[in-house]
Amino acid sequence: MHSGWLSVFAFLVVSSLIGFGLLAASRVIRVRSKSDSPLKHRTYECGEEPAGLAWMQFHARYYVVAIFFVLFDVEAVFLFPWAVVLRELGSAAFVAAVLFVVVLMLGWLYALRKEALQWQ
Amino acid sequence: MSLWFALSPLLILSAGGLLLMLADAFSEKHTDLALGAFMTFASAGIFAVALWIMGGVPAEVAKLVAPWIVLDKFTLFFMATLCLGGALSSLLAGGYLPEHGLDRGEFYALMILSAIGGVLLVAAGDFLALFIGLETMSIGVYAMTSFRRTNPRSAEGGMKYYLLGSFAAAIMLYGFALMYGATGTTALAGIRDALASGSFGYARDPSRLTTVIIAMAMILVGLAFKISAVPFHMWTPDAYQGAPTPATAFMSVVVKAAAVATAMRVLLVAFGDKFSSSWGAGWPPVVAGLAVATMVVANLIAIRQENVKRMLAYSSIAHAGYLLIGLVAAWGHGDPSASRNGKAAILFYLLQYTVTQAGAFGALILCGSKGKEAVSYEDLAGLGRRNPAVALPFTLFLLSLAGIPPMSGFFGKLFIFQSAIEGGFTWLAVIGLLNSVLAAFYYLRVLVFLYMKEPQPGAVEAVPMKSGYVTAAMVLASALVLYFGLMPGRSLDMAISAAQSLM
Repeated sequence: MHSGWLSVFAFLVVSSLIGFGLLAASRVIRVRSKSDSPLKHRTYECGEEPAGLAWMQFHARYYVVAIFFVLFDVEAVFLFPWAVVLRELGSAAFVAAVLFVVVLMLGWLYALRKEALQWQ
Repeated sequence: MSLWFALSPLLILSAGGLLLMLADAFSEKHTDLALGAFMTFASAGIFAVALWIMGGVPAEVAKLVAPWIVLDKFTLFFMATLCLGGALSSLLAGGYLPEHGLDRGEFYALMILSAIGGVLLVAAGDFLALFIGLETMSIGVYAMTSFRRTNPRSAEGGMKYYLLGSFAAAIMLYGFALMYGATGTTALAGIRDALASGSFGYARDPSRLTTVIIAMAMILVGLAFKISAVPFHMWTPDAYQGAPTPATAFMSVVVKAAAVATAMRVLLVAFGDKFSSSWGAGWPPVVAGLAVATMVVANLIAIRQENVKRMLAYSSIAHAGYLLIGLVAAWGHGDPSASRNGKAAILFYLLQYTVTQAGAFGALILCGSKGKEAVSYEDLAGLGRRNPAVALPFTLFLLSLAGIPPMSGFFGKLFIFQSAIEGGFTWLAVIGLLNSVLAAFYYLRVLVFLYMKEPQPGAVEAVPMKSGYVTAAMVLASALVLYFGLMPGRSLDMAISAAQSLM
């Protein structure tokens, strides 16, 4: 087996051990409640009352917020690998990334001026 | 020559698009944005022409961006054509949008950003660059289609275009992936070399042959959708009718030209090897079938339309059919002379079609009145007498679309049919010719209403709108239609020179 894949396999084993281990541990050391109150069967067991069903119309503004989130999320996805190899690629890569961010910022400026971030 | 200069049309469009977007956000008045968009397109086009006059991009500069972006004369020709179409469309928008209460500045930025995608699509020498260009172009156009937000037809057209367009793009992307799996490369020239090389070995590994054929079929579906060839044309009439007329002009001119250009590059370059482009097992018979279906179906339906804009949409589908004849001729059984003439015929056809079609939609805009487009033939009745300054250019463009000399459309069709005959496809040329006769019926019907009919008694006589922008576009387009029609020699020479650089 290739040694690179061995570490992936080890990572997989360790991470699933931690995940299942924590679940199992919490089952063993939890505080058992005596009563079976209806509150325990709520969606959020933290005192938050759910209002209505999830199958409802959402305000169109959520869409803009979601688009914004995706936009900056994707920006981060592009910038992480760039940051890792920046040293090898040199100044041209730096200029390219700056241009990329500047163009994104122009779009952000546009959205700001168009009051896309205001909830009215 | 530096790479900056070689890429200047793309850079100008990008800078112009971003500037217009900001100008829209930071200014109160929006009408001048049309002029800005026009200037952006014009300067990008002028830079493309300047590059052409300087003898094209030198090989040592072009190789810096190869194989992702190919900067040959073919690309420059289309850069100029797309910029011409964009410039005309932005002039039309400058008149149409304020008149119909749609004066929102995003339109111009969307149009330019979409044109950037078109230019990238035309220049793409790699499936990845091609896909990015395709999507950049399409997303802008989807938004422009549904720009009349309160109009249900516009929303319907935009939705249909968006859903079907993403679907077609996904199918095409699947084809790219399969092609990459079969050949190990995404570069168009690399795929051709891989398919042509003996080591690829269809004979030794038949499963690869299956993969290549399925991939080719999927890519063809995606291309045919963008060209709006029958049976992938369903979105076209709804999108064209629902979109604001300048967006329709942009779609039927810029998007179509870019799609045909990329189809030429993919089919003639990537699938240009002996096997994929053989009549027995390759794409040419499929494209010939698409061409016949497209022409016949589109023309038959166009005759039955009562809505002029919808009729022009079907007519635009029919023109895609003529262009597909050119594509078959450009393959031409591998005969270099017929192939060169076929390619050049497509390029010339697209160049003249750009001005003719944009002009026809512009004339239709002028026939409409405030807040209401001219939709039916009845709306046009008697305009020849009431408003000859609008009816005359409209006549010019319709005659050119019908292919009647001395308009440019005549030479466009002539060169296509000539190259088809030269390539040994007399039957295709005959079907094309019969279809042109069929098409003349519905173009001339508009003229009948313009000049020989009077409005129904009691009908509301629309007062045609006036706009300096649209008038300027009309003058420019009419002059070019006459120029390409009376003196086709120079532009045809350019088309031939561009066709020769496609390899």
